[in-house]
Amino acid sequence: MPPRTSLKRRLTLWLVAIVAGLGTLLLIEAYTSARKAADRAMDGQLEAASLTIAESLQWPEGNPTLEMPASALQILATRWQERVFYWLQADNGTTITQNADLPITGAMRAEARQEPVYLDARYDGQPIRLSGREVDSAGWDTQEPVQLWVGHTRHGRDLLARELFRKSATRFAAMVLITAALVGIAMHTMLAPLRRLRQALRERRAEENSPLMLDVPREMQELVETLNRLFADQRHHRDALLRFIADASHQLKTPLAGLQSTSELALTSKEPGVWHQALVTVHDSAGRTSRLAGQMLSLTRLQHLGPLHERQPLALDRLMREITVDWADRQDSRDHDLGLAIEAPAPVWVEGESWALRELLNNLIDNAFRYTPPGSEITLALRGDEAWVTLAIEDDGPGVDAESLDRLTRPFERGHRQDTHGSGLGLAIADSIAGRHGSRLNVSNRTPRGLRICLTLPRCQPPEESAG
Amino acid sequence: MTRQLHLGLGLLLWLCLGVGGSGTARGAEKLIIEAALDRQIVEPVLTAFATENPQIDLDYRDRSTLEVDHRARDSESPPDVVISSAMPWQLALSNDGMAQPLDAPEADQWSAWAKWRNEVFGFTFEPVVMAYRLELASHMPPPETHRDLLDLLTHYRQWLDGRVVSYSPRESGVGYTLFQQDARYTPRAWDLIAAMGAANVDLEATTQRMLEGLSDGRYWLGYNLLGSYAMVWAQSHPDIIVQVPNDYSLVMMRMAFVHRDAPHPAAARRFVSFLLSQRGQHILAGQTPLFSVRDDVVGPYTAQRLRDQVGDHLYPIPINATLLAFVDALRRQAFLRRWDRELQILEPSEQ
Repeated sequence: MPPRTSLKRRLTLWLVAIVAGLGTLLLIEAYTSARKAADRAMDGQLEAASLTIAESLQWPEGNPTLEMPASALQILATRWQERVFYWLQADNGTTITQNADLPITGAMRAEARQEPVYLDARYDGQPIRLSGREVDSAGWDTQEPVQLWVGHTRHGRDLLARELFRKSATRFAAMVLITAALVGIAMHTMLAPLRRLRQALRERRAEENSPLMLDVPREMQELVETLNRLFADQRHHRDALLRFIADASHQLKTPLAGLQSTSELALTSKEPGVWHQALVTVHDSAGRTSRLAGQMLSLTRLQHLGPLHERQPLALDRLMREITVDWADRQDSRDHDLGLAIEAPAPVWVEGESWALRELLNNLIDNAFRYTPPGSEITLALRGDEAWVTLAIEDDGPGVDAESLDRLTRPFERGHRQDTHGSGLGLAIADSIAGRHGSRLNVSNRTPRGLRICLTLPRCQPPEESAG
Repeated sequence: MTRQLHLGLGLLLWLCLGVGGSGTARGAEKLIIEAALDRQIVEPVLTAFATENPQIDLDYRDRSTLEVDHRARDSESPPDVVISSAMPWQLALSNDGMAQPLDAPEADQWSAWAKWRNEVFGFTFEPVVMAYRLELASHMPPPETHRDLLDLLTHYRQWLDGRVVSYSPRESGVGYTLFQQDARYTPRAWDLIAAMGAANVDLEATTQRMLEGLSDGRYWLGYNLLGSYAMVWAQSHPDIIVQVPNDYSLVMMRMAFVHRDAPHPAAARRFVSFLLSQRGQHILAGQTPLFSVRDDVVGPYTAQRLRDQVGDHLYPIPINATLLAFVDALRRQAFLRRWDRELQILEPSEQ
C-alpha cells in the first residue's frame, strides 16, 4: 500500500499556506504603506505650492487679489509633470480664481478651516490629491479669510508607490526563498533520526528482539521506547511459548517413558498374570496421557480462538447449581465436602459462552479436589451486587506459598506439588476462559488456611423470554 | 506679388481653401487640424505629409490663437490636432486633460525641454525680433538691444512718436505671452512699456499687420515680432531690417498636440509624429522659416544655426507649468491693468 501522507509534503503545504496567508497580509500592508510614504513625500510639494500662493495673496482695495506665482504651479506640477489645479474662494463664497472646478464640499471646507488638510478626490475621471488651507490675511478694509485649495494628479505618487512596493515585494520574495531553503535543510536534518530508525529496523532479523540502541532526539525517544516495549513483549511471549513446548514435551515424555519401562518389564516375563498387570498399568497411563493431550489441545485452542460468537445471557447461579449437583453424584467427591453458596440476588444473568463457563467451573472444582486432602471443605460461592458478581471457589486445604501464587495460572505449574495426577493445565485453561470473558483469575490464600480462586463478571439484562 | 501671410486671424477664406486645398490628396481617412500657423508658411510640410499619406484627407483650418483655443474646447466637434503659438493656452489645454499622450518613438526622443507630459510638443524655434525701416537708421543709431530701444524711445521721441508698433497683449495670445515673459525676466520691461506708451505706440494683433504697417511707412519701429514671419518679409522688402536683440531674445515655439477626443486618432498621431520626425523637421528647416528644433537636422532654418548666428542669448519660453500662471484670469487682469497704467504713466507727448 503506498503511503497516504508524507511528512515533507505536509510540512511544505503548511509552509506554503502560512507564507501565502502571511504574504498576502504583508503585501497588502506594503502596498498601503508604500502609498502612504509616497503621499507623505509628495504632500510636501502641495504644501510648498500652497504656501507660495498664500504668500502672494493681497488685499489692495478690499477685494482679495492674486498674481498667481508661476513657481507655485511648477512646484505643484513636480518633475512628473502632473496636471495642476487650484481653487481660491473667499469665505463669503466669492470665487477669487480657479483653473478647475474642483469637487470641494462643505465638509472639506469646514475641515480645512481647522488646519491644513490633504485628501484624495476624483476630478475629470482621474484620482487626484488635494490640499486645502485657510489663509488669514489682513487688509485695510476687510479681513475675510480665504480658502485655498491646490491639487495635482497622482501619476508621480503612483510611480513612487509602485517603486516602493516593488522593493518591499522583492525583499519579501527573497525572504520566502531563503526561508524555503532553510526549511528544506532543517527538514532534511530533522528527518535524519527517522531515517536512522528506519535503517536500524530494516537491518534487524526476524527473530531478533533485543532493545534498539539509537541516539535519537527526545521527541522520538518515546517511539523508540514503545518499540522496545513491543520487542520485550514479543520476547516474553516467545519465551513463554518455548517454555510451554519444553514443559509439554517433558510432561508427555514421563508417561511415555513409564509405558516403555512397564512394557519392557512385562516382555521379559512369560507369566500371563504379569502381562495382565502390565496392560492395566499401560491402560491407566495411556488414559492419563490422552487426557493430558486433550487438555493441552483445549488450552491452545482457547488461546487461538477468535472472538466470542456464542456469547449470550445465561443464569450463572443455575449453571453452578447444576454442576455442583453433577459433581456431588460422582465417585471423586466422596472424600470431600462440596458446598454451594449463592449470596447474590438471583437469578444472576451474565453474558457468556455456556460451554466455556461449564469447562471453567469443572476445572476449578476438579483442581480443588485434586490438591486438597480428603475431608476438606470446598465451597463454590457467588456473591455480588446489582452490577457485578464474583464467582469464587474456596477450600480449607494447605494453600500455596506466597511466591507461587502468581504463577499458579501458568501451564504445568502445580505449586511444587508432585503428589497428584493433575495435568497442571486446569487453572491455565480456567484463566484463558476468564480472559475470554474480560476477567482474570485471582488466586489468594485464605486465613487461617486454604486457597481462594475467584473472578468477577458483569451482570447483564435478563433475556426477553425469561423477563416475565 | 508676394505671398499673403496671415497670422492669428481666423480667416474663413483659408478655411475654405484648407478644405479643398491644393497638395492634399483625397482619401478615406480625414484629419482635422486646427492651427494658429499660417497655411502658406507650413504648406511644404503639409504637402510632404499628404504625399506620404495619400489616404488621409487633410482638413487644415488656419485660425487665430484664441479661436484655436476655443475650438479645442468645443466638445461637440473636437479637432484631431491642435497647433498654436499661444504657449500658455496650449499648456492649459493639456492641463485640462484635452490632450492625449503621444506614444511614438519621435515623441519619446523629443528633447525634454520642448515637450510637456509627452502630450504637447514644441516643434518650431522662432526668435522674437525687432524690425525697423531703413530710414530710421538715418536719424538715429539703429537699436540692437532692449536698452537701445529704451534709449531711442527716450531721446528720439519726437521722431518716433506714433511710429512705434507692437503686439497687443489684449488681442493676441502671443503678444500677451511675450510681454509677460519680458516682465518676468526684468522689471525694466515696464520702463520700456511706459516709454512706448509715451511714444503713443500702436498695438496690432498680428505680426503680419505690423510688417504691413512698416512697409507702408506708417511705422518705423516694431517690437516683439515673430522672427519667422519677419525674416521672410524682409527678404522681399529690402527697406525692412530685422534685428534679433543682442542682449536677450525670446524664442517662441509652436506647440502641437493630439486632441483627447480626436475623431481620427491614428491619423492625428501620424501627423504629429511626422512634425517631430527628422523628415518633417528637415522640411521645416529647409522650406519654411519656422526653424527646426532637432539637432540632427541641417538646413538654413535650424535652432542650431540660429544659435551660431546670434550667439547664446536665445531664451526659449520654457515649456512647463509656470506658463499656466499666465492664463490665470486674475493674473491676466492684473497684468493688463498694470499695462494700461504703465502706458499712461509718462506724460504723453502731444498728439
